Amino acid sequence: MNPDHPPLSGVRVLDFGHVLAAPFCTRLLADLGADVVRVESSRHPDFPWPSSYRHPDGRHASYLNTNRNKRSVSIDLKHPAGRDVARRLAVAADVVVENFSAGVMERLGLEYASLKAANPGLVFASMSGYGHSGPRRDWTSMNMNLQGAAGLMQVTGAEGDPPTAISNSWNDYIGGLHTCYAIIGALTERKATGAGIHLDMGQFECSVSMIAPLVLFSAVNGRNPERMGNRSTRFAPQGVYRCAGQDEWCAVSVHDDAQWRALAEAVDEGVPDPGLAGDPRFATRSGRMRGHDEIDQRIEAWTRALESADVETRLKRAGVPAARMRRVQDLVENSAPSRAYREMDEPRVGSMLTTALPLELSASPLPPATPAPCLGQHTQEVLREWLDLPANELSELAATGALI
Amino acid sequence: MWRIIDLGNLAGAYATRLLAESGHDVIRVEPAGGDAVRRTGPFLGDVPDLEQGAFHHFLNAGKRSVSINPDTPEGWPLFLELVQTADAVVTSQRLPVDDEDTKADLVWTDIEEVQDELCAYARSGLLSLTGQREGRPMLMGGHIIYLAAGIQAAVGTAAALHVRRITGQGQRVRVSMQDCLETFVEQAMVEYTFSGTRTERRGNRGTITAISGALPCKDGHWVVSQINRPGRWEKFAEWVGDADLMGDPSLSSDDVQREKKDFIMDRVLAWSRQFTKSEIVEEGQRRRFPSSPVSTPLDLARDPQLKARGYLTETEDPRFGGIPFPLGTVARVRGQEMKPAPTLGQHNAEILGELGCSDAQRRALAETGAL
Repeated sequence: MNPDHPPLSGVRVLDFGHVLAAPFCTRLLADLGADVVRVESSRHPDFPWPSSYRHPDGRHASYLNTNRNKRSVSIDLKHPAGRDVARRLAVAADVVVENFSAGVMERLGLEYASLKAANPGLVFASMSGYGHSGPRRDWTSMNMNLQGAAGLMQVTGAEGDPPTAISNSWNDYIGGLHTCYAIIGALTERKATGAGIHLDMGQFECSVSMIAPLVLFSAVNGRNPERMGNRSTRFAPQGVYRCAGQDEWCAVSVHDDAQWRALAEAVDEGVPDPGLAGDPRFATRSGRMRGHDEIDQRIEAWTRALESADVETRLKRAGVPAARMRRVQDLVENSAPSRAYREMDEPRVGSMLTTALPLELSASPLPPATPAPCLGQHTQEVLREWLDLPANELSELAATGALI
Repeated sequence: MWRIIDLGNLAGAYATRLLAESGHDVIRVEPAGGDAVRRTGPFLGDVPDLEQGAFHHFLNAGKRSVSINPDTPEGWPLFLELVQTADAVVTSQRLPVDDEDTKADLVWTDIEEVQDELCAYARSGLLSLTGQREGRPMLMGGHIIYLAAGIQAAVGTAAALHVRRITGQGQRVRVSMQDCLETFVEQAMVEYTFSGTRTERRGNRGTITAISGALPCKDGHWVVSQINRPGRWEKFAEWVGDADLMGDPSLSSDDVQREKKDFIMDRVLAWSRQFTKSEIVEEGQRRRFPSSPVSTPLDLARDPQLKARGYLTETEDPRFGGIPFPLGTVARVRGQEMKPAPTLGQHNAEILGELGCSDAQRRALAETGAL
């Protein structure tokens, strides 16, 4: 490998993923320079549900962001010749990633055990909801199921609140990131040993790891930790306070007594009676912890008459950590747009914002973003490159109807 | 096996835990007075002690600990000597080490961790997505966001180590935790930039699919999340056994389900209250409806799936007896054993011995305050 190449250049990844967890994982690999080829079929469109944007070629908005920097081959896995060509691609690959339910790759004759004989160095990552073993091996699950099952909904929110979810596909990201990490490690190890591995990464376990310290606490202490809401065990007061307008909020976190005095003075200036700054009950952190409910009410009596940006500015000027709640439109339209997103040429729409890898590597340049493929756009090219398939065999294969 | 020097805060400590789960030799360099990870509560046995933090016990498992103080005149060269023996450094502190001072093959990961968790969450856009519909936005609990950024740092470090394995070249990896958090808003970003749709908090009433939500049952909550495939609505209404749901054929359309979501979920809720979590979830799975319990951390400490797969391993703790220990997702899949988290400075003698220090030299260093 040339030192100026991306970290995973030359690594061939065959992506059997659908919707998000596995395609998100392979996007990370593609961002690091791997050659990611998606196995797709017109018989099983990825994400068959309604979407706010869908191009006439069937690609929807989320697909365009998730599957950029990849190539697409169209193979009907229900067709025996299709399964055969998929198998040959898997034998030529360094990495296979799939997020089918447990047992599906076996039914297709594409499971790790059977590929391993022909390709002993293969790194094969499975990303089903609960993994390929155990009593819940066959459970079906969606993102929200896993937010509940893996504890996220119960550790978020305050005591007495109902389970609290996040409106994104949290588990797909967490499963995808863990699996990407495990795949890179396996590829490095393979350089020394030549041996591949089956990475049976249950998304459930990946998400449980995010709260494993609290699971350990409960295992030892025999009870659940307190649900903290927006409060901290170390700082007080800390909270998210309602501001003027519809759904406007500002986060405030007081780390020490000096910040407390500054906050109390700001509140007193707006709502002087009864004064917070001089209240001896709140002079210490432990006093503020005890009086947190009362302090919250007094802060909010002040913030709710002000714009959230105004609260943030005033408090920051006074040296108090504060941040108004930003929404996605603030991330992309604001004068200081997020570095997490980058403009990409996308012929279907002209150009679009796409997620950047939030990493910089000083000696390994990352590849520029290229648009998501059309279904089967690279079938011939990939079969030629990966399998050395001559043109006549290619047309014979196409004639079987397996490449749709 | 690589040798990794770990000066991470919560995010960095999870990045290096993942490296320990992969079987690498991770050495945690800690100040003699203990660091923020050790001070993070809650505490095992409710003892607020540097050796008892739940975060310390999980995040530092599988690592060795050396209490070198790089801020002393004798400690700094000792630290640099340790770095010379390493393959990678993962740090959340800015250290005055130039590339010229280190070996050309060293991987050095700098993580810019956020100073203020709640404010960073508010700035990232994630706060606007977390909480009940129209209710007060909520921080994700358990300092999860640090661990999530830690995986990104582990990915970057692993990629650089992969390059090193092939070319022999080291490099710097930079990870901004704030950027990491903002990437997790990507679905809302795509929806907004393509169609102007603003993603809102939906709390326990579902995310993407119409029939989805966390509903109360006898002993807690359960989640149902149903994709509307042909014939599934009828099967679902039949399971619920609700005459109003079965009697209205228009409800089988996805659009009508979205429009009447509250009505439908209220009917489902009234029915599901009579069952326990496990009764309703087992029956839902038998009927192939994506159903799951809403687990508490205590439920997870006893979880049969985690036990069956060896994610929870029975460990004998000298203070607390037998406890189910969370091995970690990468350690489990690789069959990697994870040693308990080290006591502060537990491996001072061992690691200084590896650097060629004699016992006498070590004692002298300890007296200067460098150890």
